[in-house]
Amino acid sequence: MDQIINPLALYAACGLGAIGVAFALPRKEGKNPQIIGAMLASIAGAIVLIAMGLKAGGFFGIGNSPSIYFYVFGGVALGASLRVITHPRPVYAALYFVLSILATAGLFLILSAEFMAFALVIVYAGAILITYLFVIMLATQAPTEELENALADYDTQAREPIVATAAGFVLLAVLTTLLFRGVNDMPSRKSPGGQSLLAEMPRKIESALTFSGQLPAGSKVVVNENAEAVVDFAARTVQIRDAAGVVSSAKLPPDLAVSNVEMVGFNLLRDHPGSIEIAGVILLMAMLGAVVLSRKQVQLDEDAKERHSRSLAAEVAQGVETNP
Amino acid sequence: MSTTLTLAQDGFPTAFQSVTLAHYLFISAVMFAIGLIGFLTRRNLIIMFLCTELMFQAAGIALVAFSRFHMDMTGQSFVIFIVTVAAAEAALALALVVLLFRKRESLDAEEWSELKG
Repeated sequence: MDQIINPLALYAACGLGAIGVAFALPRKEGKNPQIIGAMLASIAGAIVLIAMGLKAGGFFGIGNSPSIYFYVFGGVALGASLRVITHPRPVYAALYFVLSILATAGLFLILSAEFMAFALVIVYAGAILITYLFVIMLATQAPTEELENALADYDTQAREPIVATAAGFVLLAVLTTLLFRGVNDMPSRKSPGGQSLLAEMPRKIESALTFSGQLPAGSKVVVNENAEAVVDFAARTVQIRDAAGVVSSAKLPPDLAVSNVEMVGFNLLRDHPGSIEIAGVILLMAMLGAVVLSRKQVQLDEDAKERHSRSLAAEVAQGVETNP
Repeated sequence: MSTTLTLAQDGFPTAFQSVTLAHYLFISAVMFAIGLIGFLTRRNLIIMFLCTELMFQAAGIALVAFSRFHMDMTGQSFVIFIVTVAAAEAALALALVVLLFRKRESLDAEEWSELKG
């Protein structure tokens, strides 16, 4: 088996990254080595990424150049994640998390997972992070006059930075060793999957044929008893029936393909319909739980309850008298 | 050698080729480790939950990369459920954080260290 990176170099990079992250964590006393730490950590990450790039075919090499977008988005995502855990101000940490999400959405786009990329931006960056920002701003002490920029003690001082970093990077070293070793054995499939789904979308084929002008007026795409179009994938033709009922075959437009959103939709709604329902129930329960947890509880003794109920009853009786 | 490593990316521009599955798994593993370290070291309750979101996101990258590698959309569908769980977790956790903040007027996790059983 062929390691992508020499294990010793990998462990050295992990150690360098660990030292860098340990330095970069927030601390109060003395000089702040955060910048040095961030530089060390990024050097360690760059070593591994460059080694992987060289193994995959060289940077900007002729013919077989690796994706520059991957390195840009990956670097931004990791740098922003590092800043999330090292920035002493919670609001900035949340904003760096947004940056990390945007970079991850870029990675998803490279992986041609368009739906997930946009869902990530909308749901994570749009909804969840706004909630986080609200709570951060709600649950922070108001700054006093003389200490306007003071940070809370628990934000400036990390808890057990060295032990935690060591634990995290030992985990990382084990993970990367394993995944850099086993990857060669995985098969890579060259055929774009999911094209057979095209037969299940006769209306899409019909509108594409109409758009390209290959569907004469009055003609329809032939559907079989399963409501599927009769498509010959090897020749890329589909059967159509004209107004007189004569069946012929039409050539599919070359750019007609199943998009990522359609594939995800078919997978989600045909293969996992129950999971969607459960996800909805989870969201409902979470909403109820959040409402119940965060409401203010008012303690009333028995007398107060009785007084309340009596005044309520009196109000109701008055209302009945004035509006018969 | 590099052909076996390359993700199946038919019909992609040449600049998008030659990024292997291991590249994405590396990004995912590093992001997960950073999230773990953040969860262990930070003392602010909100940042700790932000770090769990970071780990969710790392798992999402791995799932989408595998989904692309195996040309199976189930990986991407599962990321939708990850986002669902993350949203539910954010709602509940933040409600709890607000509750805890009202009790102690502080977001420090150490304030609650007597809960350690």
